[in-house]
Amino acid sequence: MDVTNRHLNQNPSRLPDSPMHPADEVLVAQYVEEADQAAFRTLVDRHQERVFGYLRGMVKDRDVANDLFQETFFRVIRALNKERGSYTRQGKFLGWVLRIARNAALDHLRSRKKWQDLGNGDDGDESAWWDRLPDDGPSALESVQDMEEVDLLKACIDRLPPEQREVVLLRHESDLTFREIADMTNCSINTALGRMRYALINLRRMMEEAKRLDHLPVND
Amino acid sequence: MHNGKKDILLHLYGEATDAEELRSLLRDDELRQEHAELSEAKFRLDHLKRERPDPEVINRILAAAATGDGLPTANNRKDRPAVSPSVRLRKVLIPALSVAAAILFGVAIGWFGASSGTGTSADGPALASTPDDLVPPESLYRFVPPQRSLTPASQADPRLAWDDASPLLDMHRRIQTMRPQGSLDWGEEAVPLESLPGQNAGRLQMTGTDNQKR
Repeated sequence: MDVTNRHLNQNPSRLPDSPMHPADEVLVAQYVEEADQAAFRTLVDRHQERVFGYLRGMVKDRDVANDLFQETFFRVIRALNKERGSYTRQGKFLGWVLRIARNAALDHLRSRKKWQDLGNGDDGDESAWWDRLPDDGPSALESVQDMEEVDLLKACIDRLPPEQREVVLLRHESDLTFREIADMTNCSINTALGRMRYALINLRRMMEEAKRLDHLPVND
Repeated sequence: MHNGKKDILLHLYGEATDAEELRSLLRDDELRQEHAELSEAKFRLDHLKRERPDPEVINRILAAAATGDGLPTANNRKDRPAVSPSVRLRKVLIPALSVAAAILFGVAIGWFGASSGTGTSADGPALASTPDDLVPPESLYRFVPPQRSLTPASQADPRLAWDDASPLLDMHRRIQTMRPQGSLDWGEEAVPLESLPGQNAGRLQMTGTDNQKR
């Protein structure tokens, strides 16, 4: 997808309802009340990249992201059909689905016991988990020299501190506003903005470093 | 975070739209440098290709949506068999009738209990205070004067007493009223009317009158 498409691909939750482009709320009502499968398919088509991109960036594994994506929408289907109270129809279908996706991702990460040594002594703020997560693996720059720029950028994103990575994913993959990100991640909007700023600064530095190493002469 | 840097970020992502505010922020060298660096990183992120899940994952989700329960294997589940009328009669009608009968029985018990209950009701029959107040059974066909005065209904207690207005008492009063004040009494032998003192006052001298007319 080129940059033009990405810019035009605005979050449809914020677009006005129209016959050509029914709002999420309309589609949800058609599915729940009329069992309209086409309406549900439209919802999945509309949001699959936003949800999958977030999950893919969170777990750094495409297969796992596929499983979590499926589990997320299974939960959505169950909730819409049997526990409609959990979806309050406030025009935030994507945010609701992303919360479910985030819970699924956190469940997966917990199941991997990645957090078992991090839970002691935190103050209940979920962000503390992310802040204390150790950086993954060796320097990103040692393994990304031969990558294409897009792949290099993805590798750099994967190596961001988790709390910064999540804000980048929610803003760039899921098209949430900083206010929505703050609500979802239980932090203030200033915290969300701060994480985004550091993420952008870190990404820029990593990319520059990778390019600098890439242009260094290779020792045979 | 510095407010200027926060505002730079908001402008960068289109969440603040005041152009004049942005121009004033960019007059600051540090903020202008910050804006340039962040814009470069954001530009790279905007060029990232978005990924989609595998098509088979989408198919499984849509299959689950068709069943409505979020489980794609659920479409193999068989429908519940129809409920036969006899089962409906046995499982619905009979229990309902049993409950109704139990309620009616309870209401009837309650009604009889209230009608023959404590006797404190103003409309209810009076109760005898002691066993002596009870009228012997033979009085039902032959009058037997009560041994004691009747207890008024308002002072009555647990056991049933005869009402003052019973036909037997009424008959007794009438007999007492009709009883003559003299020695004549019920059960004595009949005596000629002429022998009774003062009994001739009402007799007509038929013979004398008839003779005079003749």
